[in-house]
Amino acid sequence: MLKLEDYRTVFASVGLIGVLLFASPTLGLVLHLPSGEKFSELWVLGPGHMAEDYPFNVGADVNYLVYVGVGNHMGCSAYYVVYVKFRNQSESLPNATAGTTSPLPPLFEFRLFVEDGKSWEAPLRFSFSNVSFFGDRCLVGSLMINGVTFNVDKSASWDVENNGYYYQLFMELWIYNVESRAFEFHNRFVGLWLNMTSV
Amino acid sequence: MKSLYRHFVKAATLFLLVLMAFSLSLPSRLFFVKGSNEASLIEEAESKLHVAFEAVLEAESVGANVSGLIARLNEAGELLAEAEIADKIGSFSEAVSKAEQCSVLADGVMDEAITLKGEVLAGAQIAFWQDLTVTAMGSAVFLVAMFFVWGWFKRAYAKKLLRMKLEVASDVEA
Repeated sequence: MLKLEDYRTVFASVGLIGVLLFASPTLGLVLHLPSGEKFSELWVLGPGHMAEDYPFNVGADVNYLVYVGVGNHMGCSAYYVVYVKFRNQSESLPNATAGTTSPLPPLFEFRLFVEDGKSWEAPLRFSFSNVSFFGDRCLVGSLMINGVTFNVDKSASWDVENNGYYYQLFMELWIYNVESRAFEFHNRFVGLWLNMTSV
Repeated sequence: MKSLYRHFVKAATLFLLVLMAFSLSLPSRLFFVKGSNEASLIEEAESKLHVAFEAVLEAESVGANVSGLIARLNEAGELLAEAEIADKIGSFSEAVSKAEQCSVLADGVMDEAITLKGEVLAGAQIAFWQDLTVTAMGSAVFLVAMFFVWGWFKRAYAKKLLRMKLEVASDVEA
C-alpha cells in the first residue's frame, strides 16, 4: 500500500496536468513554437508540366513552351521577382557560392506573391527570330518572350566539344526584404541550355 | 523705305530662327518629360505595391486570412511587370496605363489589409479574454474539486488505516 505522501504527489501531479490542459488554449495564443528551415524553390518544367521534353535543339520562328514555378517555405507570404535573362557561353551566370547575380540585364520579369506553403507557376513561351549564321558564329537578333519581342543581338561561337551554338535562357529568383525595403537576389536560378540549329 | 524693309527681313529671319530652334528642342524636351513621367509613375506604383505587401504581411502576422489579398497583389504585380516591360521596349503610354492601374489596385489592397488587420485584432482580443476567462475559471474549479477529492481521499485513507488489524507472523525471520 502506498504512503499518504505518495498519494499527495499523485494528486499534485494530476492537478498540475489539469491546470495545464485548461490553460492550453491561452498558452497557444502566447507561446509560438520555432518554425522549420526557411527556403524558397524555383523550377522549370517542360511543356507537359513534367521534368522532361525541355526544348534543346531550337530554331528560328518556332514557339517553345516551358513552365516556371516558385514554392514558398519562408514561414510567411513572400514577394518575389523572377528575372528572365539570356546569355551565350562567354557571359556569366549567377554565382551560387558567392550569392551574386548575373550582371546581364533582365529581359522579362514575373512579379508574384506566394503564401507560405503554396506555390506559383506560369507559362514561359519563347521563340527566336532574325537568326543568322556566318562562319563559326551564330547571331540571334530577337527573342520573343510571352508575346514581347526583345532585340538581343547575341552571338555565339561554335562549341567544338559539344557541337553546337549554345545559348542559355535562365531565370533568377529575387525576394523582397521587408527590413531593407528592397529586392535581393535569393540565390536561386535555373536555366535551359539551347542549341541554335537552324535559321 | 529700304531700311524699314531690311529691318523687317532681319526681324522675320530672327523670329524664324528662334522658332526653328524652339521646334527642334521641343520634341526632345517633350520626350524627356514623357519618359521621366512614366518612370516616376512606375516607381510610385512599385512603392505602393511594397507598402501594400507590408500591410498584408502585418495582417497575416496577426492571423488574418490573406488569400484574397494575395490574389489581388498578384494582379497588381502582373500589371507592374507589364508596365516595366512596356517601358523597356519603349511603349510609354502602355507603361503609364499599367502603372496607374497597379497603383489603384495596390492602394485598394493596402486599405483592405489595414481594415482586415483591425478586425482580426479586435476579434483576437475578445477571443484572448474569453480563453483567459475559461482558463482561469476552469483551473480554479478543477483545483477546488481536486482539493475536495484530496480531503475525501485523506479521510478514507485514515479510516482504512484505523480499520486495519495487527497481524503477527510467527515464522518470519528477522
